[in-house]
Amino acid sequence: MEQATPDPERQLQPAPLEPLGRSDAGLGVTVDEEAERAREEGSGGDTMTHNNFWLKKIEISVSEAEKRTGRNAMNMQETYTAYLIETRSVEHTDGQSVLTDSLWRRYSEFELLRNYLLVYYPHIVVPPLPEKRAEFVWHKLSADNMDPDFVERRRIGLENFLLRIASHPILCRDKIFYLFLTQEGNWKETVNETGFQLKADSRLKALNATFRVKNPDKRFTDLKHYSDELQSVISHLLRVRARVADRLYGVYKVHGNYGRVFSEWSAIEKEMGDGLQSAGHHMDVYASSIDDILEDEEHYADQLKEYLFYAEALRAVCRKHELMQYDLEIAAQDLASKKQQCEELATGTVRTFSLKGMTTKLFGQETPEQREARIKVLEEQINEGEQQLKSKNLEGREFVKNAWADIERFKEQKNRDLKEALISYAVMQISMCKKGIQVWTNAKECFSKM
Amino acid sequence: MAGGPPKALPSTGPHSLRDMPHPLAGSSSEEAVGGDSTPSPDLLMARSFGDKDLILPNGGTPAGTSSPASSSSLLNRLQLDDDIDGETRDLFVVVDDPKKHVCTMETYITYRITTKSTRVEFDLPEYSVRRRYQDFDWLRSKLEESQPTHLIPPLPEKFVVKGVVDRFSEEFVETRRKALDKFLKRITDHPVLSFNEHFNIFLTAKDLNIYKKQGIALLTRMGESVKHVTGGYKLRTRPLEFAAIGDYLDTFALKLGTIDRIAQRIIKEEIEYLVELREYGPVYSTWSALEGELAEPLEGVSACIGNCSTALEELTDDMTEDFLPVLREYILYSDSMKSVLKKRDQVQAEYEAKLEAVALRKEDRPKVPADVEKCQDRMECFNADLKADMERWQNNKRQDFRQLLMGMADKNIQYYEKCLMAWESIIPLLQEKQEAK
Repeated sequence: MEQATPDPERQLQPAPLEPLGRSDAGLGVTVDEEAERAREEGSGGDTMTHNNFWLKKIEISVSEAEKRTGRNAMNMQETYTAYLIETRSVEHTDGQSVLTDSLWRRYSEFELLRNYLLVYYPHIVVPPLPEKRAEFVWHKLSADNMDPDFVERRRIGLENFLLRIASHPILCRDKIFYLFLTQEGNWKETVNETGFQLKADSRLKALNATFRVKNPDKRFTDLKHYSDELQSVISHLLRVRARVADRLYGVYKVHGNYGRVFSEWSAIEKEMGDGLQSAGHHMDVYASSIDDILEDEEHYADQLKEYLFYAEALRAVCRKHELMQYDLEIAAQDLASKKQQCEELATGTVRTFSLKGMTTKLFGQETPEQREARIKVLEEQINEGEQQLKSKNLEGREFVKNAWADIERFKEQKNRDLKEALISYAVMQISMCKKGIQVWTNAKECFSKM
Repeated sequence: MAGGPPKALPSTGPHSLRDMPHPLAGSSSEEAVGGDSTPSPDLLMARSFGDKDLILPNGGTPAGTSSPASSSSLLNRLQLDDDIDGETRDLFVVVDDPKKHVCTMETYITYRITTKSTRVEFDLPEYSVRRRYQDFDWLRSKLEESQPTHLIPPLPEKFVVKGVVDRFSEEFVETRRKALDKFLKRITDHPVLSFNEHFNIFLTAKDLNIYKKQGIALLTRMGESVKHVTGGYKLRTRPLEFAAIGDYLDTFALKLGTIDRIAQRIIKEEIEYLVELREYGPVYSTWSALEGELAEPLEGVSACIGNCSTALEELTDDMTEDFLPVLREYILYSDSMKSVLKKRDQVQAEYEAKLEAVALRKEDRPKVPADVEKCQDRMECFNADLKADMERWQNNKRQDFRQLLMGMADKNIQYYEKCLMAWESIIPLLQEKQEAK
């Protein structure tokens, strides 16, 4: 498993970038307390590096999306969407922002960045990407990746992803992340050169394969259980919400038919005509109001989706810990058996089955010299094993410490964000109710004049 | 009954009961011994469940003495419509208190009809009788027969075809009661129909079956004469004003039909929306169980959605019970009006045909024979009655629809107000800072 501490090679050293808080598109953010302290401590020293990029604040925005055509790896023509990432640094003194970098990236490059971060920061709950394909759509929304509404929501999601990383105290300092924002050409090669794909534990891909850990850490098993449940409940919620949206759409739109029939009816009435006609207009207003209402609700759904995917990232950390623990136990087991073997050879008692033992029985005893040689080898291996176990244990403890710190940070963030999401959802509902009352009150007044 | 059946008397116009022995005239031995017919609902009262309104064997129960329908509560419950003609009302009718009767042959519902009147046609100031749907049906056909030149209000449908409807469910019975009440009130409001003796009997007779069986022909003269109009004459052209009425009714019925379909569709969509909401709310609850700090906010949202679901259910129930039936009633109304128009056409056709026949006879002093004069009379009366009724109907229709549509708007406003209250009340809950763990 990879080191738990940030690798100097991977981190931009001298001037830590101040974590950016969660913000809307392109707005500057406030400075985190922790970073403030770090900056003060580190000042006087090397705040000025060869890298002038790191000023006090930066703003990141994914400002545009563009359809492109190109040739893929198999030299076949393909259409894809490219996103413009703009980075601005904000001068502290006058608050003006200067565009420092701007480049285009496609979704697959974002994926590459994330996969890299997953490998090198296994103890971090890595922010998720917006969905690759539209899921949980209610019928009016398109499931087509090229649909402008989908592209727009994805643009916002990608921006959110970058802002999340930039506001993470550890992730924001990553060099590859910095290069992602600043180095258009050759970035992919640079990432691949880190060799992270080789370092990735292929066992992680087998999500549901169980590794029997003898002494599981209860906190992590509980957390893994929580992340499974969270994923399940949010998926369910998103599915039902989509159906609710569908039905609500139907209710509103059918009212539009009143508009037409009232208009037709008013044509044959003398006194009732005006009242009917104007009421019909309000029915049309009512019917068309649902489009905006449901578009707003999509933002709520997107906020929930982010945490659906975050749950997966949380689970991944637990999984890595599980694997780490498993490897540790295997190594300990291995060491124990080698020690036993050594002991047996030294004392001559054979308690455990070994191939050597069998062949010895069949083909005759080995010479004392041979035995000595074997003991020597084993002793070396045992030494090595003990060193490894020691470092693995250390690694394990570091991992747990750092992971748990990030998990606490994540929990706070999650509670804050979801509370805000629920509040904004309630506000949306209130606004919808008020609009409904308004329209029907207007209609009632028209009816009263009939 | 003692004294034999009342004699059938031919009469013209509004008929006075003074000439007839009062059906409920004082004999204490008057017990309706029904024989093989269904016993009078009035007497059955004593046998139905938990019934306190025992009707006395002789005389209708003065409305004042039986408990629920005291005079003051009666007046309170009456919907006093705007009196268009500015007359002071002297006749009040209310339909209420549905009761289920279980007999060997059948089960049915009766409704209490309470009448208060100062009119001379009524011997007592107040009456209380019980009637079932088929009695209303009888009344309506009698009215159609005896007052063919007038528009007779519609009855609610006899059978409900759509879906499996429980004829004895509270909602169905209540909807029907309201429609029957409306039916009688429309007749009460009518300057001619309200004096019809079938109507009077309906309101006052202790045992309606006796009248039904004896087939009392209490036809008005007009009724008699129109009855004999043969259908053989074909009208060439409908006079403009009646053609206009016909066209209006056609379009009107069409539009109402469309509105009915739209309203049904809305209710259907709302019910489907409700089904999804009922699954949606509880998911927040499930989520709440997983969380710590978020548990209360999530539970709050779940409860909120639950409240909105309840409000929506109330809305759909109201629309089904109050809105749709009235629409359907008006469609039936315009249908029956179209058939009255056709009858009018018949009368005119007969007159024109006879007139033509006279003209062809080429007499030197063309004297209009008596029967042609009668035809002309008939036609002119019919036209006058119809026009008057049409105007009255238009006014009532306007009021009815104003009330109906305002009611619909009101119910929707109430629904949104309930939801608004629910969501506003959880905002403080959501914003509240959790205490330090």
